[in-house]
Amino acid sequence: MKMVLSQRQREELNKAVADYLRSNGYMTALEGLKKDADMPGEVEKKYGGLLEKKWTSVIRLQKKVMELETKLSEAEKEYIEGAPTRGKRLPTEWIPRPPEKYCLTGHRAPVTKVIFHPLYNLMVSASEDATIKVWDYETGDYERSLKGHTDSVQDIAFDSHGKLLVSCSADMNIKLWDFTQGYQCLKTMHGHDHNVSGVAFMPNGDFVISASRDKTIKMWEVATGYCVKTFSGHREWVRQVKVSPDGSLIASCSNDHTVRVWLTSTKECKAELRDHEHVVECIAWANDSCRIAINESVSTDNKKGTHEGPFLVSGSRDKTLKLWDVGSGICLFTLHGHDNWVRGVIFHPGGKYIISASDDKTLRVWDISNKRNTKTVEAHSHFCSSLDFHKTQPYVVTGSVDKTVKVWECR
Amino acid sequence: MNECIVPSQRFSEDNRWISQHKRMLAETKEKEPDVVFIGDVIICDLQQRPIWNDLFEPLHSLNFGILGDCTENVLYRIKDGILNNIKPKIVVLHVGTYNINDKPLNVAEGIVKIVEEIQSRLPNSNIIVLELLPRGQMPNPLREKNENVNEYIRQKLTGLPRVEIVHVEKTLIQADGSISHHDMPDYLTLSETGYRKIFEPIYELILQLFGENDIEKNIND
Repeated sequence: MKMVLSQRQREELNKAVADYLRSNGYMTALEGLKKDADMPGEVEKKYGGLLEKKWTSVIRLQKKVMELETKLSEAEKEYIEGAPTRGKRLPTEWIPRPPEKYCLTGHRAPVTKVIFHPLYNLMVSASEDATIKVWDYETGDYERSLKGHTDSVQDIAFDSHGKLLVSCSADMNIKLWDFTQGYQCLKTMHGHDHNVSGVAFMPNGDFVISASRDKTIKMWEVATGYCVKTFSGHREWVRQVKVSPDGSLIASCSNDHTVRVWLTSTKECKAELRDHEHVVECIAWANDSCRIAINESVSTDNKKGTHEGPFLVSGSRDKTLKLWDVGSGICLFTLHGHDNWVRGVIFHPGGKYIISASDDKTLRVWDISNKRNTKTVEAHSHFCSSLDFHKTQPYVVTGSVDKTVKVWECR
Repeated sequence: MNECIVPSQRFSEDNRWISQHKRMLAETKEKEPDVVFIGDVIICDLQQRPIWNDLFEPLHSLNFGILGDCTENVLYRIKDGILNNIKPKIVVLHVGTYNINDKPLNVAEGIVKIVEEIQSRLPNSNIIVLELLPRGQMPNPLREKNENVNEYIRQKLTGLPRVEIVHVEKTLIQADGSISHHDMPDYLTLSETGYRKIFEPIYELILQLFGENDIEKNIND
């Protein structure tokens, strides 16, 4: 394959060659090179020995790669043969495994979000085709489409009983849909000045929270449809909002590279979590059962950590996931492994794993206490944009830019 | 008067050109690309090939190629806002092979003008200028003209900050001066094999530039 060098690389290579010529006393060639490459003056010190270093490092790296590959194949062998059989695994260790149980087609444009209904055997998908589709995840049957938005549907969420679904869209509207009978659109709420990219219910179901490209977060009363609070502070597009399990805190993530945590009651920004180097795409609150694994993960010299939480995980375009102790406002650890933007993240209900979805087309399972990527599933043929883990049933659902929705059984 | 540098639309009774332009404008309101490809059929066809899905789509790319576009049409699209709502780190350009009746120097000035317009809107982005691909099975006046355009481009753009010129002529022309139908079935546009030859090095270059930008960012932090 032909390689193209950037201008900077070409200049550096010339200088490295010049240094090589000088240090070997090839003075005629050096003068010739300087003349041909239009490179007057002395070559800076930092190029000393550079060519030789690069020359040798390729072979060294090749050797290293081969060693690592051998190690990897050994580790894989051990992992596959040494793992306990399915029946012996505890439900808290059940993770999604290929192949998928169902691959559901029907959306005409990329799928933006997938969620499970908290009680029924239903799941719901949102798409850039402006529709929301309802599916039965046990049978793989398509149930119906909810139409009303006029542009890409960006996010959806259920209240805790699954009686209401809230959706938001690039058409700047938020809609409430009835899931007790008829699936009608009950209310349309308008107030954001730009694309609405994230929605969530408060735990008691009385209020809805929304995040928008207009840089604000708004709280809406379900009964009246009025906007009752606006949270301002993010400097860019707010991507997602998630409410803590007790409802006292709201977490949000943004194009401004930060995660913020707000006090629901006063609109005060309690914490600004900075460590990501790119847009933060997704966040999730940890359930109580995660505390043990998280404290194991930060233990040193057999001393377990004593972090109280609450804990939050975030996924970013910088390809990493970060786990945060919101109580102390610090990042406990960073998970590297995805090769592209991280788009979706959620905690395993059993408390031992984090599951993430990425534009590298994979679904990954991370062992919290060892801070390690234990399982990678090649999930879709295009960017994997969203995932959800059922609270009580062993199922994971993923959505993709390839327009499909996939159901994965956990074993 | 050099028409290559005068922004202009293309008209036809079915309005397909303006429809495509409007759809692309709409995309810039929704999407956040890291790489933008803009230009003529060479760019446009790229997204129909497997190489697009393999290499460029994962980089978060948008393709603003329109079949048959000349420099003045791309200029119009840029002036009309195709780059105004987005902040790509890299813009890849190939246009000029359809400016058949224009003098080589004029075409080159059109390309330089486009580079200037991109720079004024995206001062921190890198621009990769793909030299005009050769055309015609055997050496011919149009192929010679494209070579002349490329010479002018090199004269005018070499050394400019954040501008990379990619030389391509040699890649496709065989020892006897002919172009293989395996690379260019119609001796103008590329097959998958042809695309691999021209665009795999560009992919490598893009990765290099991403890396350099990161290093610069770290130094500045």
